[in-house]
Amino acid sequence: MLRHLVSIVAISVALIGCGPGEPKTAGAPAGFRQLSEAQYRNIVADVFGPDIQIAGAFAPIPRTDGLMAVGSGRVAVTPSAFERYEKLARFVAAQVVNADNRPMLVPCAPAQGAVDEACARAFYAKTGRLLYRRPLTDAERDHLVALTSQVAKAGTFDDGLAAGVSAMLVAPDFLLIGDVIETDKSGAQRMTDYSKASRLSFFLWNAGPDDALLTAAEKGELASHAGLTKQAERMLQSPRVEAGVRALFSDMLMLEGAATLQKDPVIYPAFGMAASFDASEQTLRTIVDLMLTRDGNYRDLFTTRQTFLTRTLGVIYEVPVQKSLGWVPYTFPENDPHVGIQSYASLLALNSHPGRSSVTLRGKAVRELLLCQKVPDPPANVDFTLVSDSANPDFKTARQRVSAHSSDPSCAGCHKLMDPIGLSLENFDGAGQFRTVENGVTIDPSGELDGVAFQNPIQLGKALHDNTSATQCVVSRAFAYAAGRAPARDERQYVDYLHKRFADNGYRLKELLKDIATSDGLYAVGPGSPATRPQAAADAAKERS
Amino acid sequence: MNIHLRSVLIATCAIGMGAGLSSSAISASAPKRTIGLVVTSWFSAKYNTPHWEECPEGAALGNDELWIKNLPQAQRIKATAGGAVQPVDGERKTQAVVRGPKGEDVCWNPEVVKDPPMRIVRGKTGYGFNLDGTDDGRATPKSCKHDKFTSPEGVKVDNQLYRLLGCILGMRNDAYLEGHPNQERQDSGKGTILIEISDVDDAKNDDAVQVAFYGSIDTLPKDSTGKILANASYRINDNPIYGTKARGKIVDGVLATDAADVRLPMYGNNYTGDIPLKDMRLNLTLPREGKPANGLMGGYYDFAKWWDYFQKIEFLLVSNQWSCPQVYVAAKELRDGYPDPQTGECTALSTAMTIEALPAFVIHPDKPNRVAANDSPTRLAAK
Repeated sequence: MLRHLVSIVAISVALIGCGPGEPKTAGAPAGFRQLSEAQYRNIVADVFGPDIQIAGAFAPIPRTDGLMAVGSGRVAVTPSAFERYEKLARFVAAQVVNADNRPMLVPCAPAQGAVDEACARAFYAKTGRLLYRRPLTDAERDHLVALTSQVAKAGTFDDGLAAGVSAMLVAPDFLLIGDVIETDKSGAQRMTDYSKASRLSFFLWNAGPDDALLTAAEKGELASHAGLTKQAERMLQSPRVEAGVRALFSDMLMLEGAATLQKDPVIYPAFGMAASFDASEQTLRTIVDLMLTRDGNYRDLFTTRQTFLTRTLGVIYEVPVQKSLGWVPYTFPENDPHVGIQSYASLLALNSHPGRSSVTLRGKAVRELLLCQKVPDPPANVDFTLVSDSANPDFKTARQRVSAHSSDPSCAGCHKLMDPIGLSLENFDGAGQFRTVENGVTIDPSGELDGVAFQNPIQLGKALHDNTSATQCVVSRAFAYAAGRAPARDERQYVDYLHKRFADNGYRLKELLKDIATSDGLYAVGPGSPATRPQAAADAAKERS
Repeated sequence: MNIHLRSVLIATCAIGMGAGLSSSAISASAPKRTIGLVVTSWFSAKYNTPHWEECPEGAALGNDELWIKNLPQAQRIKATAGGAVQPVDGERKTQAVVRGPKGEDVCWNPEVVKDPPMRIVRGKTGYGFNLDGTDDGRATPKSCKHDKFTSPEGVKVDNQLYRLLGCILGMRNDAYLEGHPNQERQDSGKGTILIEISDVDDAKNDDAVQVAFYGSIDTLPKDSTGKILANASYRINDNPIYGTKARGKIVDGVLATDAADVRLPMYGNNYTGDIPLKDMRLNLTLPREGKPANGLMGGYYDFAKWWDYFQKIEFLLVSNQWSCPQVYVAAKELRDGYPDPQTGECTALSTAMTIEALPAFVIHPDKPNRVAANDSPTRLAAK
């Protein structure tokens, strides 16, 4: 009776729609996304515990529309990649049933040679639900139990369980995050609650749904705005949201490049791999601190002086660090040139060359990563000789070099977009270290952004802070990250609506995440979606009843 | 009071003509600042000539050499296979050092045997400071009569430790007893000396600065080629035996301190301890144009403390060639500083060290603000 009442309320809210004033969107066809390495690791840790080791690296996911989260929907699992998944699955499965982990994970210990099918069924029901992000169907459970028994005949019960775990870990239902579609009473297609749960969870936590979220889906609570809001708020209050925010910004700022970033050790002796990792982590810590811990204004990311440093980074920034190991909060003094994340070593070094800074790459990064403005690729026949010759006695500063280079009309158009921004970051060398001269000539770090002129990197931060494109960019990217696709053209009103709410809420990221997470637009299923998976939908309905 | 120099510079330029960030002018009223340095290398200061002219008697005799020489002939023939080979290392190391009449270890009991006089430096040139203020080394209230060296610049200086050890094979420039402990310090971070120059108005010329000497508890970060990085942060060892301050001045980028009694951390050759230097002086060219600071530090090294170190590195006797009894006797004769009021015998040996130092942040854990407002030592010293 109570459940019935809840359902009525939920349907009523759902009919009313999402937040007031949210423009309707047509949505996009349902699709699949491949789990990222971080998501894989997070799920395995959630299901089997944090002590399970995951060795090796995954195949890289291409970036599409600025995000790997979007690119993950356009990858093919190659045979070699699948082979890697298969090896990894066996490695993980072996740890699940080893002496250290088995007592906590397997609810029974049958006598040697015996097979406890009920135990196996319970084990798969519990772990399979978390791995597949929905309850297993009867057929899936039967198959896994049969596999367990078959393998156990030639070995042990635990060998059978390990085979079952391996099978789940290479199943498309685990490796691919699929949008499962069902038909509502009116005949319209919609995303199942379990798919909504996955979308919500991967968006906010960068991990699969937990038991509470799956239970909410099971009860049909995610069909309503109230139910969705309740879960989103719960998840946003959880410390696990940090992993989600880190993943979002790591993707948006392309920080994964830190793992392979190489600098010329002769030119930048202080910038080794440790510095590269720390620089990336510094940026993420600063974002998490401002956006989550202090619930601050997103625009302040471009002007903040509050950050975190390690001793290694202290050498780069030439500032004292109070601790020898670990991170310490640090506030750059007033008027120090390191203001905002665009002036941190990670973005500066990532968008430079191995042995010199790059006006163009930095300007491009600001345009594309922070303002979501696409800069066309250079023409194939462009001559970079002059800009790359930082030892040229006639062009001692980057300003002189790019000025000469972009005097070519075919280059000038794009360089006008990038160079005035990049030039204002020339007070930082290719490793992000402060400098005032290049080749003995005083650097002029003046620049311009969308009609706003500035004299130095500090003022660039202010210009970014005040630039509407910056906040529009994070709205667009956050939606794309959550949905696995960039907003379509006809979703412009919806994105504007999100942006207005973002502004009304003081550009607080948590509010933006909540708005996206609870909006109809995130779950809208458009035409061209594949046919509903009848069995899965029927099973889900059965579970729900 | 310290200030972040960059702040000053940037504020000056940004507010001014919008020419961006410049390293130019510091305003006349700029508050006092601090320059931190980490000593990355130090060696005892020795005037070594390629052909050992300063050691006309030759290299100091090794302990094993004296041991084998004094063995009864039969034993000597046995140990050397009739003179055809050197005694194997095992015998040289274990037996040679216990050559006292009752099998005593002669490093711990250096007076139980009487070796011939040690071969010491007879040259006239040396590095150091004129610690006693005399040109002839006559006795003064705080020094005993001794010979003076003349520095290459023509200044009369005191360096009795160099006179004592300068002819020992392992103590020559770049030899093991010097190079190895220096490398050990660089690799382990133990025994690292920090220098903090405060109250600096002008890093090129300042007639009154304060110079403090600390030990560090942190390792020295290096680049991928093994070079120590500048501008790293080092926490001080808060043991109160360190932290002595001296007054000083900077002339044309060269820091010179007044005399002060300091203790410096010491590590090397498996020895952990400290160096008490009385009447310590430091003459240091500050970092400039990307070059590290370098210079000379000298003073009177307490004899007992020095001998504590020297006798504890007896395991290096064979490979580095000295005799503990010889060194002990010669050292006592060469002591030139701080006469004992009762006996009149001096208690310390004049010495000097060449040092090299990089800009660094000296971290006082209990005074974060003091250092947090510091500036890049590289930039400060370069002004």
